[in-house]
Amino acid sequence: MSTAEKEIFDAAPWKGKTKKYDFVREGVIAVVVVTVLAIFFSLLFGSPDEPPLTFKGWAVSNSDNFYATAVQELAGTSGTATYGAPYNENGDGLNIGPLWMQRWAGVTRPIDTVNDFVIAPLSTQIMSSDIANALAAWKAASDSQKTTWATSYDDAITKVEGKISDVAAGDYGPVPVLAQGLTEMAKGGALDAALLSQGGFFQTDNTKQILFFGDGSYLDDAGTAANLQGGTWGMMNETGRYPGQAWLWLYSFWYQIPPFNNEESKPIGANADAYIMGLMGLLTLGLILIPVIPGIKTLPMRIPIHRGIWSQYYKSQGIKRRKK
Amino acid sequence: MTGWFADFMNHPATYLKSGWFQISITNLLVILLMLAIFAIAILLPFPQEKKEERGSTKETRK
Repeated sequence: MSTAEKEIFDAAPWKGKTKKYDFVREGVIAVVVVTVLAIFFSLLFGSPDEPPLTFKGWAVSNSDNFYATAVQELAGTSGTATYGAPYNENGDGLNIGPLWMQRWAGVTRPIDTVNDFVIAPLSTQIMSSDIANALAAWKAASDSQKTTWATSYDDAITKVEGKISDVAAGDYGPVPVLAQGLTEMAKGGALDAALLSQGGFFQTDNTKQILFFGDGSYLDDAGTAANLQGGTWGMMNETGRYPGQAWLWLYSFWYQIPPFNNEESKPIGANADAYIMGLMGLLTLGLILIPVIPGIKTLPMRIPIHRGIWSQYYKSQGIKRRKK
Repeated sequence: MTGWFADFMNHPATYLKSGWFQISITNLLVILLMLAIFAIAILLPFPQEKKEERGSTKETRK
């Protein structure tokens, strides 16, 4: 078929048989079938039922780690305290070359780890005189004094690799009492509620809990145990034997290979999240632009899958494959 | 929600691992199932269309 003939053929109105098609009926059937399947598979498999992570669980199972994390929050050395935007201005955040997107977005969800994670929750409790005195001493101290106390204690804990009972004696002010008070509060289960409390009737914002969890090893260990770490394709996985987000394979793939999988590698590995987001953006743009990309747009000519699907039509119409 | 197989499903998954590649058996099954459905959709003829095609050919021949 020459090009001119093909144009005439393509432009000609349909002369074959026509049939009424009930689009609504088709849609209703699809919805009913999918609903029945969803109910059936829900009854069969249920849903992931992992017990929730709680501060109580953390403080009971790994009291030293919780305690050390509380001290880091007071010293301003935790992951959240040094994260930068959108929580504070203590870090530059991720960048792609000259694009400092995180910093440009600014602090939109301010979090002060000292007050939000330690002092405010402790202040909501009926406390012993020790904790009340420690809180009063902390509040009365100057900022530099607070930093000196908390940083010295944080350094002392780091020196003994987090084993609190081995920490050398020193001038740590009220910090040990505050950390112990928060640990006891967490063990009793009160910290979960105190961090969630936002003043409204419905409590739906879990930002503070998740950030605090992320500063210690509890959440990290749980993620590793459930194969949910980014470096082991965790983005694609789900807890238990449930299928995960298989469609995120490409996004997840980049985190497995160099330089993205090495946080120490600058600039790409250290800013892997930003670079991978940019890369996926470019690939998505490529996908959208397939119809106009030379070479790619003509792929169906070379890989004619559509002819397989509509083989009966092509056969009945006597249309043969175009020769190159 | 608790399903009939929920106990089985909530146990730790088995993973296949080779170098940097790792995938859970469940994810692998889902991916293979998707590919199988795709292949079937391409290879199986449409039964209804077959009938229509015959009809349509007859009409064309008229």
